Amino acid sequence: MKTIRSYKMLAAVLAAIMMISLLSACGNGGGNGNQGSKSDNAAQGDNAGNKDNTGAAGDSGNGQVKELSLFIDAPWYPVKEWKGPVADKITEKTGVKLKVTVATDDKQLPLMIASGDLPDLVFTYSNVGRLSDSKLSYPWNELIGKYAPDFKIDKTRIAIHTMDDGNFYTVRNSFATQEEMKQNKYSIGSDGNPGIAVREDIMKELGNPPINSLDDFVKVLGMVKKKYPDMVPLIMDKDWLEQYFLQQFGTEVLLDGWYEEDGKVDYSIRQPKMLEFFKFMNSLYRNGYILAENFALANDQIDDQYATNGKAFAHSHTVATADTDNIKIKSSGSGTFTFKMLPSALSKDAKVVSTGLGFAGTFITKKNKDPETSIKFLQYLASDEGKKLTMFGVEGEHWTWNNEGHPDLKYNPSDADFVNGNGIKWWYLYNDGVTEGMLSYVPGLQKTQALMETKAITVYKPQIGLIQTQPDSEEKTIKTKIDEMVKNEKVKIYLAESEEEAVANYNSMVKNAENMGLQKLVDWANATYEKKKDLFK
Amino acid sequence: MQLETQPISPQADSGRLWKRFKKQKMLHLFVGLGMVFLVIFSYTPMFGILMAFKDYSISSGIKGIFTSDWVGLKYFDEFVHDYQFGKIVRNTLVLSFLKVIFAFPAPILLAIMLNEVKNMAFKRFVQTVSYLPHFISWVVVVGVSYAFLSADVGVVNKALMSLGFIREPLNILTGPNYFWGLAVGSAIWKEMGWWTIIFLAAITGINPALYEAAEIDGAGRLARIRHITLPGMKGTIVVVLVLTIGSILGGGLVGSNFEQAYLFGNSINNPTSEIVQTYAFKVGLRDGRFSYAAAIDLIQSVISVVLIFSSNFIAKRMSGSSLF
Repeated sequence: MKTIRSYKMLAAVLAAIMMISLLSACGNGGGNGNQGSKSDNAAQGDNAGNKDNTGAAGDSGNGQVKELSLFIDAPWYPVKEWKGPVADKITEKTGVKLKVTVATDDKQLPLMIASGDLPDLVFTYSNVGRLSDSKLSYPWNELIGKYAPDFKIDKTRIAIHTMDDGNFYTVRNSFATQEEMKQNKYSIGSDGNPGIAVREDIMKELGNPPINSLDDFVKVLGMVKKKYPDMVPLIMDKDWLEQYFLQQFGTEVLLDGWYEEDGKVDYSIRQPKMLEFFKFMNSLYRNGYILAENFALANDQIDDQYATNGKAFAHSHTVATADTDNIKIKSSGSGTFTFKMLPSALSKDAKVVSTGLGFAGTFITKKNKDPETSIKFLQYLASDEGKKLTMFGVEGEHWTWNNEGHPDLKYNPSDADFVNGNGIKWWYLYNDGVTEGMLSYVPGLQKTQALMETKAITVYKPQIGLIQTQPDSEEKTIKTKIDEMVKNEKVKIYLAESEEEAVANYNSMVKNAENMGLQKLVDWANATYEKKKDLFK
Repeated sequence: MQLETQPISPQADSGRLWKRFKKQKMLHLFVGLGMVFLVIFSYTPMFGILMAFKDYSISSGIKGIFTSDWVGLKYFDEFVHDYQFGKIVRNTLVLSFLKVIFAFPAPILLAIMLNEVKNMAFKRFVQTVSYLPHFISWVVVVGVSYAFLSADVGVVNKALMSLGFIREPLNILTGPNYFWGLAVGSAIWKEMGWWTIIFLAAITGINPALYEAAEIDGAGRLARIRHITLPGMKGTIVVVLVLTIGSILGGGLVGSNFEQAYLFGNSINNPTSEIVQTYAFKVGLRDGRFSYAAAIDLIQSVISVVLIFSSNFIAKRMSGSSLF
């Protein structure tokens, strides 16, 4: 009898514990939405109050290191932890340490926004519009006025980022005006430019046929296919499929952008040169020079493996492809061959239009525990010292300044392992295109050559970049849907079994876009363009 | 602890009811826990359905679900007029029905076949090997499938080519024509052994005397399967079938429509691999259009509810056994 009772007791206690833990778990979860944020806000208020009393927080002077949480909205981000000489130096200078979280996929940040579960700082490129919202982030102008009046940002950058409510919530890095680029001849641009590298040894065996045009390149691919049937003539990174070829066709636009002609703006796929480009890509497939699977690669490592394992003749990726591939081949010992870059301009039509407004920006969210320290932290990164420290590394240890106007680097910036291991470049939460462009200037590197060629054919039209749809607007919905449709339909054109089929698929893609409201979108784009284009004059 | 099973008589006063309740308080406690769980995690979040009829923006947080403007059926209308609507609905239905047709009978067949195997060691071995894949997650399965099925490096293609069955490699992972077969095939491979356990248990419950009697009466092996094993499994089969049809749009018994379409799907096989769930996931989370995604999913839920009620009704009519 006694044992039965004690069993019952035990069962009752267990059940009670389960019940309590269940309820308390829910309490926590549910609380996040309302209560949590309230108490956070309260804490924030307290903190801010304290700051006012204790004085400047951003200074390293008081010796106390503050930790801020940072979410990086880029699953591919190569640095995932606040460590290494650059990070340490920044902490030393600012008294700020970052607790970094890198996104697991591109849906994580939208989910965090929805649940109100935001960190102190967010670094993003795809959600700049969404976070530029007074409900989610602090306006920089407000914080600068309050805590960092000597943080000066030039007018163009402010104008680019000013939203309809008159505030700006971030300033993107990697941006430089045409003037700034002109004045700094050693600033030659970033790795984010397309390039194709080819196997030097195979070229030699083929008798070094000249490659001075796209036709020449296609001919060489044909020779490779014939002589090395087991080899893939051209492998492409999944994110760098079209850019190089679009550049050669001089389309002035990538597949989801706007181009301008005679003062009128239109959507990329209606560019007259686009059809030629699609026919060209389709011919690469029909001739067996590219794999169908290339358009379904699940990650961006597979193409590198093809290239470095000697299974591919040409590798389409960025201007740094040859340098990085060669380093990888050497360090893994997988072969003795080397890659060399094709010229950035393979035809007289080749043209690059830079409509960029920069790459990514940092937001100080409304959940930030210490906005004052945060804006001062960014102010330091925006200083000349801060920009050089983040971009080139620690002065003296990693580089020395050359009075010609560029750093003399003591390492190879294409050596991804070294750069990422030391945290060079990637903490560019605030920086600019001029400083970043100098990181590429290493006399003798193939990338340097490729970038100088690219710079020579670049035309700047940042005013086109200002055509940006606002989150939750009707235009945004139409644009996203059309972009997504193009992403699906373009593959059907590339992989068509005949040229007629490719052309038919192209026409049906354009028609689809028109049915989805393309004209309305284009009208809106033109109206926006008219309103904003004078910003750069 | 004994269960009180007799029905409450109309005269039962509240005292007796309380007494009964007290007697069963442990059971009620356990049931109560389950109910609390259901209410909190399944019923409470349902208020989110409101989003489907409102102009909701994620920056307005949970409160925004109640405060944003009503837009009626705008998002339902938008989905129905989407250029991919027909394709997406077709893919969802075809994939689901193919899975019921092929994946539902598979574990039943395997269970019957295993039951006929007399060598215990072999039976155990087959059972273990066939249910192990159940524990591998789809992400891993899809990753590994690349090594087996890829057109360029896949072992299967290499083998078929060297044996002379095909001259060009098959684009199993990327070709739109292969996706449904790939999805159904891999789902059967992964889940068949797992579900076999249930059916084997049902067979174990059949009285061996029936088999002995049938054998004496001269019934062969096939006749015994047809007249004893299958009727003996009928109850289980019907219950599993009803559950399957209820979750048919998620892939039924073997489930995983979403995982497969999301992981095996790519821009080449998109014409056959895009289904309602992946589409809702993409527009909902990637584009942050929660209202639209909620509307899409609501349509699917309604279809599912209709299917489960009708399949239950039919099962009741045809076999007398049903879920509720």
